[in-house]
Amino acid sequence: MKLELGFIKINDVQFSNECAVKDGILYVNPEEVKEYVYDYDDVKQFVKSISFDIAKPGESVRITPVKDVIEPRCKVEGPGVIFPGVMNHKVDTVGSGRTHVLKGAAVVTAGKIVGFQEGLIDMTGPGAQYTPFSKTLNIVMVCEPVEGTKQHDYERAVRFAGLRAAGFIGQIGKNVEPDEIKTYETLGIKEGIEKYPNLPRVGYVHMLQTQGLLHDTYVYGVDAKRIVATLINPTETMDGAILSGNCVSACDKNTTYHHLNNPVVAELFEEHGKTINYVCNIITNENVYLADKQRGSDWAAKLAKLLDLDAVIVSEEGFGNPDADLIMNCTKQEKQGIKTVLVTDEYAGQDGKSQGLADSDPLADAVVSGGNANMPVVLPPMDKIIGMTDYVDVCSGGHAGSLRPDGSIEAELQIITGATNEMGFNCMSAR
Amino acid sequence: MKSPNRIRIVTNNPLVKQILSDWYTVEYYEDATYRDILVKVRDMVYNGYELFTHPMAGSVKPNETMYKSIVVGTDQKGTDIDHCKLMMNALITCDKFKPTGVQYSDYHYKDFQLIDYTLLCGALDFDAIAGLSKANM
Repeated sequence: MKLELGFIKINDVQFSNECAVKDGILYVNPEEVKEYVYDYDDVKQFVKSISFDIAKPGESVRITPVKDVIEPRCKVEGPGVIFPGVMNHKVDTVGSGRTHVLKGAAVVTAGKIVGFQEGLIDMTGPGAQYTPFSKTLNIVMVCEPVEGTKQHDYERAVRFAGLRAAGFIGQIGKNVEPDEIKTYETLGIKEGIEKYPNLPRVGYVHMLQTQGLLHDTYVYGVDAKRIVATLINPTETMDGAILSGNCVSACDKNTTYHHLNNPVVAELFEEHGKTINYVCNIITNENVYLADKQRGSDWAAKLAKLLDLDAVIVSEEGFGNPDADLIMNCTKQEKQGIKTVLVTDEYAGQDGKSQGLADSDPLADAVVSGGNANMPVVLPPMDKIIGMTDYVDVCSGGHAGSLRPDGSIEAELQIITGATNEMGFNCMSAR
Repeated sequence: MKSPNRIRIVTNNPLVKQILSDWYTVEYYEDATYRDILVKVRDMVYNGYELFTHPMAGSVKPNETMYKSIVVGTDQKGTDIDHCKLMMNALITCDKFKPTGVQYSDYHYKDFQLIDYTLLCGALDFDAIAGLSKANM
């Protein structure tokens, strides 16, 4: 499957009466975005208000609590729409043709979902170095619920609101000539073996967080708790085939932005045809039921064997029980002769001296760590807050008194969105 | 939903007791802490009861939430060393997190109950939303 990504470089974002891209500046009319987002009952019914703001790199701005981050993209050629299963109910297979990317821009959804909150983004200062989203031009949507809305209805509504906004804004780039076009292509099994007979066959076992409210991932709109391990073309992920419903554990949850810009996929494509034959992705879930974990890892191993893979990279998402899936995936692949490299983060205690994962095995001897989520950090006060800081103390990584009277925050690194991302998309290692 | 035969839910979550008692055997320990539940289940596993769900469900940290629900078998089948290891690691992980000292409000407790409940429902293929509707919640 072959996909061209047309990158439109965005150097600035401004609110305006029009929606356009001119000379690298993205102009957005927030009222038009809001109108589009609210055109659907499933948002209108549950989201009382959406306020828009812009946060730029280097500004003294803190965004909290963060739900999702999404990169604006749109399909220009080829079947399907961006974010299949969400946008207009279309589920055509994506990942081919051409897609335009407003590179440098991001849509950030923020606001309360439940009483305890997750995640912050600092656009400057020491906190900025721990999140990739201090480098993006962020169009922030702060959402408020209709009184009495149930948490699961509201989570879904905010998720859809963010995706629709990013889809709408992505369309602004549809007729813009990209600054750069990159082509990504993986081959069929027979074609790949013929073209690259001497290159090792490598796949990517992509573990998806799939456990319940605030812990879910969607594949073509399907709750991934319900899937069995399956194959997906890497380019499908670039068109939003995998979307985040995960807003717990800010540091190591994969936002939709991460899924669109999967660094494991990017690096495998860099080496594709040179040192490796990048065959495909195997997606599998991280269910709570132990038999589901067994089935998921058994199927991932079965598929890898069927594809005659020589090696897989395995990335996980989340804290605690996904470590069991990670080790299961590792050991089952290794025992059938398929080499593994694992990408994860660690909860090694504030002093870094504790066992970093909740599970381990001697076969897991090639591991890339995204950092220690328990590491203490102190974040200085910011001049402007987008969202609300009411929940800082109860954020994962926070404690009583985390939010100090002067507005500074003392917490663990896990409070920062994307800080220890388990695809390696972070600032601490791997990339 | 998964069959209720020969399994029980060990929990300190009143929401789980309220909704799932109609469908499953629920062992409810009202005054148990998160860690207490892990210890209880660890002892059950060591004594040969089968573990059905991972003790560290979800990404809400042990020092954030106070609620924990784990599914265990009702028949003694012999000690499973892998399940023992899971429980041991769960307690090691739990003890890595320092108490936060946060004083939670009533709605915080309810939200933590809800998350634990939905994680459990996900594991049991139980319609969490239908359960809440039936309980008028």
